[in-house]
Amino acid sequence: MRIETCYFCSSKIYPGHGIQFVRNDCKIFKFCRSKCHRAFKKKKNPRKVRWTKAFRKAAGKELSIDPSFEFEKRRNMPVKYNREIWTKTLDAIKRINTIKERRQGQFIMERLRKGREHEIESDVKDVQRNIALIRSPAAGLKERRAKEEAAKMDAESDEEEITYVDARELEKKLEESTMDEDYEMLKA
Amino acid sequence: MGMVQKRKKMHSGDTHLRRRWRVRSRKRDLDEIDNDLKTNAEGLINQEVDLDKPGFAQFYCVHCAKYFIDDQAMQQHFRTKVHKRRLKALEVEPYSIEEAERAAGHGSYVAPKKRRMETQPSKEEVAKGKKVKIELKEEKMTE
Repeated sequence: MRIETCYFCSSKIYPGHGIQFVRNDCKIFKFCRSKCHRAFKKKKNPRKVRWTKAFRKAAGKELSIDPSFEFEKRRNMPVKYNREIWTKTLDAIKRINTIKERRQGQFIMERLRKGREHEIESDVKDVQRNIALIRSPAAGLKERRAKEEAAKMDAESDEEEITYVDARELEKKLEESTMDEDYEMLKA
Repeated sequence: MGMVQKRKKMHSGDTHLRRRWRVRSRKRDLDEIDNDLKTNAEGLINQEVDLDKPGFAQFYCVHCAKYFIDDQAMQQHFRTKVHKRRLKALEVEPYSIEEAERAAGHGSYVAPKKRRMETQPSKEEVAKGKKVKIELKEEKMTE
């Protein structure tokens, strides 16, 4: 007795379940249920059907590469019954299963976390782009304009004063310098 | 609006393809063809005369697993969409029982390889010693 795996969805097939198809080159295809058998008859590619394990692993939805997968194997060598080995293997199976489950869960949580990050990023972008929906661009426009105008007026008046003063000072300076030169010339 | 939204399915699975899905009319699967290409492509192109087969088994497309009545029909077939689609489908390594088991957790996942597929050479070229090659495609570097 063996628990087989379905050719299409890779689920377990317990004894007495499913159906198998033997192709004319002696290859045996086992199916867990009629759904998988029907899909096979329709020549569907399990890699492209989203509900199969093959798809989920190929698309990176699940943990696919891990040393914990290397324990379960088809061993065609018969082992003579030994109670000690039996109990030991049972313990090992339990422990490996817990480890495997934990790793798989961790992988999926990591994947989902990335999605959350993307979500936050896109939300921030959305708010920045559509800020007008939350706060009207016209809100406080009058006050802002008034302020701007006042600032402009100030700036203009400042400039005028400065230029005025500058011009006078320059003239004075020029006069002084010329006067100085004249004095110097006279002294000389 | 205001109508019953769910449609009752009266003819689910009622399709003209039903006959094609019967086991009796199964064609060669992709993995079988892949095996043919790897092991015995030259032998299939130059087959012995078989009076039961179309064209006495002298014009065979390995990729589509199909006999033709003459060379003209085969050359025409090479230009069709069916043939090109088949070449495309064979580019990726076919799904296998081993892959199903690996997906179930018996071993780690191995990504299928991509190959370069070309239409088979003509009979004369094969007689001269040309072989059907399957080259691995160089994959683009992805992070």
